[in-house]
Amino acid sequence: MTTGPLKEAFALYDQLKKEFTSPKADIAKCGQYLAKLKIYLTELSFLLPGERAASAEELLLAREVLETGAQWSIRAKDIPSFERYIFQLKTYYNDYNATLPPSARMYPLLGLNLLRLLAQNNISEFHTELELIDPDLLNDNVYIRHPIQIEQCLMEGSYNKVWHSRANVPAEEYAFFVDILVGTIRDEIASCSEKAYDSLPLPDAATLLYFKSEAEVVAFANERGWKINQKDKKVYFRETDLDATDIPADQVIHQTLEYARELERIV
Amino acid sequence: MVEKAPSKPKAGDSKDASAASSEPVPMEIVKTPEELKAESDAQLLADIKQNIHFLDRAVATLEGRFTTRALRATASIRKRLNPDILAQALNVHFTEETPRKQSLLEKIGKTSSAMDVDAPAPESGKEAKTFLPEHDIYLSYLVLLYLHDQKQNDKGMSLAKELVQAVQTINRRTLDQLAGRIYFYYARFYELADKLTEARPVLLAAQRTATLRHDDDTQATILNLLLRSYLHFNLYEQADKLVSKAAFPEDASNNQMARHMYYLGRIKAMQLDYTVSHRHLLQAIRKGPTSPASAGFQQAVNKLAIIVQLLMGEIPDRAVFRQPILRKSLLPYLQITQAVRVGDLAKFQETLGQHAATFRADKTYTLILRLRHNVIKTGVRMISLAYSRISLKDICLKLQLDSEEDAEHIVAKSIRDGVIDASIDHERGFMKSRETKDLYSTAEPQAAFNQRIAFCLNLHNESVRALRFPREAGTKDLENAAERLEEERKLAKEIVDGDLEDDDMGEECPRLVGPNILLLEADFWISGEQQNGI
Repeated sequence: MTTGPLKEAFALYDQLKKEFTSPKADIAKCGQYLAKLKIYLTELSFLLPGERAASAEELLLAREVLETGAQWSIRAKDIPSFERYIFQLKTYYNDYNATLPPSARMYPLLGLNLLRLLAQNNISEFHTELELIDPDLLNDNVYIRHPIQIEQCLMEGSYNKVWHSRANVPAEEYAFFVDILVGTIRDEIASCSEKAYDSLPLPDAATLLYFKSEAEVVAFANERGWKINQKDKKVYFRETDLDATDIPADQVIHQTLEYARELERIV
Repeated sequence: MVEKAPSKPKAGDSKDASAASSEPVPMEIVKTPEELKAESDAQLLADIKQNIHFLDRAVATLEGRFTTRALRATASIRKRLNPDILAQALNVHFTEETPRKQSLLEKIGKTSSAMDVDAPAPESGKEAKTFLPEHDIYLSYLVLLYLHDQKQNDKGMSLAKELVQAVQTINRRTLDQLAGRIYFYYARFYELADKLTEARPVLLAAQRTATLRHDDDTQATILNLLLRSYLHFNLYEQADKLVSKAAFPEDASNNQMARHMYYLGRIKAMQLDYTVSHRHLLQAIRKGPTSPASAGFQQAVNKLAIIVQLLMGEIPDRAVFRQPILRKSLLPYLQITQAVRVGDLAKFQETLGQHAATFRADKTYTLILRLRHNVIKTGVRMISLAYSRISLKDICLKLQLDSEEDAEHIVAKSIRDGVIDASIDHERGFMKSRETKDLYSTAEPQAAFNQRIAFCLNLHNESVRALRFPREAGTKDLENAAERLEEERKLAKEIVDGDLEDDDMGEECPRLVGPNILLLEADFWISGEQQNGI
């Protein structure tokens, strides 16, 4: 039986859905709806399972709301909020998967979450998440495959392919994270370049780092503390090695004392 | 410690230590099967009795090693158990008619009254001592083992539930080791019934209690069980959080330690921390039992260790694949290794496709997927070793990459990751390998040397701490010895407030160890302070 608060929640969710799917969705308004809906949900044994087990209907509603919330966060470009929604959704995807029918939005959202982890350069968590996904889907599901391919390219170092992957994203929401990813790639390339090159001509650095103008390179170089020689138009990464000749006196003394003490104990 | 692993992480724990050799085999007279059976039955009953006796001594002297001995001997008893013997043993050793006895007899399909007749009378008359909870739990444990081996999961599960409740209510330090076993089979039965998640709350609660009681054995066992349960569902995040919050007791038995190391290795491998992972796995291999009975564990650890080693960019020793117990199961891994070694991407993909099902069952599939870029890296490394200078275009051709830009990025990344020591000249488009530095001009040898010295000193200290002194050594002043032992024990007990009795080395010789531990601890604090000072 549909009880009072549940009915109201459903009504509100319908409104939200209408607003969210309309071509000119008002992001702020959707946010308000979501906030109200979440209050309703707390009354319906949403966060803390109470005495009675939540009915499938309630769970379904909660999942729908959270999924919409996650999508809304992407549109509102609010990553922390997206993270929160995903964390809440995971319970519904993993622990209630026996009682609930599978959601059509599950894999797009999980894929998005994977992409988010990549964009934040959080590779270890990316793999942890990957373990929770059915291995058969890794290659078959277009939403999951995309972040996995990006990750492989990142690991190999084929940054070019990542750069071009922006063109063929499986869903429009993905573009948001791929754009952030570009920043991550740039940092990666920068840290590789520091080690691999002694110096780079400015125009070449611009192409390597996917910058459009040399001015951008200069700004970026200042941020990372690279030296730019304006005369020969080159970026210099390396300071001459001075630190190698240092004798680690402190460490040696400490170790020797340690040996002496230990030996004394043995004798 | 030769104690056998309670079970292996992978399937196949029904096969146990081949300890049947302890059965007496009469050579001269050919006996009828009935006689032989009667003899082995009598022997079995005697063995059980011996174990009960060990438990008595453990309770009387508060020394855990007697319990250890009883549990060790259980491995051989386990193979010979049958309902008749169990019923007899229950009738002999349960001096009181308790509900537990009824329930145990029911579980093995015997009724109490029917068996009373069969029970050898003289034995029951002789046993006039008090009935300890340890006896109760130990005999129940035997029944539990029997049910497990007979795959009577429903009965086993209900018995395990009962026993867990029992050990939770009885708070006795002499029960700790038994409790650990009970929890193990509790979780095992739940796992067999595919209800592992349901057992988790109980285990978590028990883990807290065990930690509060300084019950190292149970603590170690349960922690491993929880990890296993998390990893079973690929919940690496939760497992990692558990490990970071709950400390694994240092004095845990080697077997538990080995399993713990294996789980840690798996978590770390998932998180791409391959160096740490490999260290854990190595320890698991070294500490783990090496008998054929634990082949499952060894195989699982070695599989993972090979993949992790490959992921680190190292090629595992060929000898690993030759070991008789491992050879067959490691075959797919050997092929993968060969593909990585020569840097052949096509062969790698082919092997991966061929053995995908095996790798998935081993839960190494996703790890192996990650190896793809290692194949490329190996290629880059080969090139860097062979050429002192090579154009990016040639690298691109050699590695079959899509474009020169890709090649440049890949080489740059390899340099950053420390795979090769080289630099790129962008303007002229080539990679130049740096000349190998003289390693002995750096602090590297000193660091390596220091590491080894530290290891040796640590080994020495550990051995000193683990020393056990036979009582007979003090025969000269025998009267004093007993007294002093008693006194020292009291002292040690007061000092550590009941901590020592389940402390693996503390229990063996309080006379020596009591003050020694304090000494070591003091030293530890001093060195700690000094380190902080620097």
